Amino acid sequence: MRSLGRALVAIGATGFAAGLVAVALVLTADDSRDVTTFDMLVGPVVGWAFIFAGLVAWWRRPDNRFGSLMTLVGFTWFIGALGLADAPGVFIVGALFGAVPFAVLLHMLLAFPSGRLEGRAARLLIGIGYVAVIALPLLWAPFVQTSDIEECKGCPSNPLLISENEPVGRVLFAIYGLVSIAVLIGVAVLLVQRWRRAPAPERRVLGPLYLTGGATMVLTILVLAVQSSGGEGAARVVNAVAVLLLGSVPFAFLYGLLRTRLAQTGAMREIVTSGRGELRDALATALRDPSLELAYWLPDREVYVDLEGHRIELPEAGAPRGATRIMRGGECVAAIVHDAALNEQPGLVQAAGDAAALALENERLDAELRARVEELQASRARIVRVGLEERRRIERNLHDGAQQRLVALRLQLRLARDQADRDPEAAQQMLDGAMTELDEALAELRELARGIHPAVLADRGLEPALSALAGRAPLPVEVASAPRERLPAPVEAAAYFVVAEALTNVARYAQATRAVVAVERRNGHAVVEVRDDGVGGADPSRGTGLTGLADRLAALDGRLEVESPSGGGTIVRADIPCG
Amino acid sequence: MPLTVLIVDDHATFRLTARLLLESEGYDVLGEAVDGADALRAARELSPEVVLLDVQLPDIDGFDVASRLTGSEDGPVVVLTSSRDGADFGPLIERSGARGFIPKAELSGERLRALTG
Repeated sequence: MRSLGRALVAIGATGFAAGLVAVALVLTADDSRDVTTFDMLVGPVVGWAFIFAGLVAWWRRPDNRFGSLMTLVGFTWFIGALGLADAPGVFIVGALFGAVPFAVLLHMLLAFPSGRLEGRAARLLIGIGYVAVIALPLLWAPFVQTSDIEECKGCPSNPLLISENEPVGRVLFAIYGLVSIAVLIGVAVLLVQRWRRAPAPERRVLGPLYLTGGATMVLTILVLAVQSSGGEGAARVVNAVAVLLLGSVPFAFLYGLLRTRLAQTGAMREIVTSGRGELRDALATALRDPSLELAYWLPDREVYVDLEGHRIELPEAGAPRGATRIMRGGECVAAIVHDAALNEQPGLVQAAGDAAALALENERLDAELRARVEELQASRARIVRVGLEERRRIERNLHDGAQQRLVALRLQLRLARDQADRDPEAAQQMLDGAMTELDEALAELRELARGIHPAVLADRGLEPALSALAGRAPLPVEVASAPRERLPAPVEAAAYFVVAEALTNVARYAQATRAVVAVERRNGHAVVEVRDDGVGGADPSRGTGLTGLADRLAALDGRLEVESPSGGGTIVRADIPCG
Repeated sequence: MPLTVLIVDDHATFRLTARLLLESEGYDVLGEAVDGADALRAARELSPEVVLLDVQLPDIDGFDVASRLTGSEDGPVVVLTSSRDGADFGPLIERSGARGFIPKAELSGERLRALTG
């Protein structure tokens, strides 16, 4: 801050000195030059006014370019005074570039209050303006003898002259005049547009600026018009008024700038201190876009959600709405979804977003939590549903399997008993059938019990349980790797059921000739992989089996992936943190 | 004159055993049906005096089948059966129009005769 202050004082001193040089040039000008006392006094004062107001603005708002632009207007203002010098080398600089401050002034006018030109039209216009005041004079310099120009009485001769050519000079002057008027009209149109779009508070700030700036512009045009019609005296009066008005322009801008700072400070304070859910309203007010929405970025899930945690999509390019991403510490925090009209002012949206970044980060965490809670609720509901379905399935299996067989067994035993005396042979057959029935019932009960929770897994761990599972599969299954040490019981169970479900699916759908099972510990996670050489094309959302497994894994913070390119086999992979 | 019976159950083992059992106890088993629709058709074609009807069928529920069979005046006597306990079904057995319920494991000609009287 202190070094900025020193630099600004140095610039101020340079500006003051430049003004003194201008005064000296006015005082020592050749008598034949048409210099009035008014020019002498007011000329440098206008330059100093811009420099002073510019430096104050610069000092008060160091991150805003507007102050430096205003200072630049002041410095360039003194170029005109060089035109009064007797030395041809100095004179010609003033004669050629005397209009540069007006281009910078227009630039400043359009760049209020951010110091940046918002929108392509503004940038194009100001670009043309600079070309007109810098490049066009360089074009006429080789062809026009300055000492011959009527309006330039007593001017030194042009040191850049190569060969005098009046028609070329006239054409270039005409072009210069046309381009200048076109740029002036363009700027006026943009300012009117901005005025129309501006709500009342902004108009109160813009009002004095437009009044002084606009009046100066009108008067400048008037001077040119009166001069060209030969009204010397009238031109001088109008010119005097224009210059006086011009001197007040920088102060009007300084006032406006500090006022917008106050206004923005108010808006920013609201943004920074807004409570939950108020941030959107604060930003909508600050950016004057009632339709504004906030989308919070969830890096884990790579989606945007609203404050309630519901997923939302950002508008595509070219849509009637625009989106501006807000970063904090190099990471995306959120996006502001706004009316496409604000696309014209990316700096403004970005600045508001940057001010809100911390609050946005807080709300983002809030939204992330809500999204997580929502996901947890959904997955909890699914787990309950899966649990119910599981119980229903077990009841069905018991009823349709073992229970039916035992019922039949009971009836067969009674038949055999009734027939034992009458027809011992038939009774024996009945008893044989009954034994087969009993064997089947036992096998079904074993299978069912294993499906509920395999005893080997509980007693001996994953490795023997997986080997047993592989041995019972209807196709060759190799257990390539499995941890010999015990893992937490929920992890072992989850891993086991992933393999069991995957192998069931392989047997049912994959038309595979073999499958490989691998369970490895990696960085505190158990990574389960079941790979087959079948037809692929498995859809994980198809069966309830895999969805149920995914929920079971989610409860352990694990993840399930299915890779199944058509014709390329299937890989089911589960990643389960070991806690 | 033995009582004529139609056995309705989707489990083949039960149908077979029940047929053997009832035939050994003097019943005339006219036929078997595997689901509700099959049962309604077979009852129309065979006109049995008794229908032994499983509660849980793959298509129409046994209670519904019983209501439809007993809807007409000359309909058969319907006896429901299941491997579950009769108490599990609460008032449904009575409401269905069936004459009674016999747990599958306790099926016998005697129990059936007691109901059909």
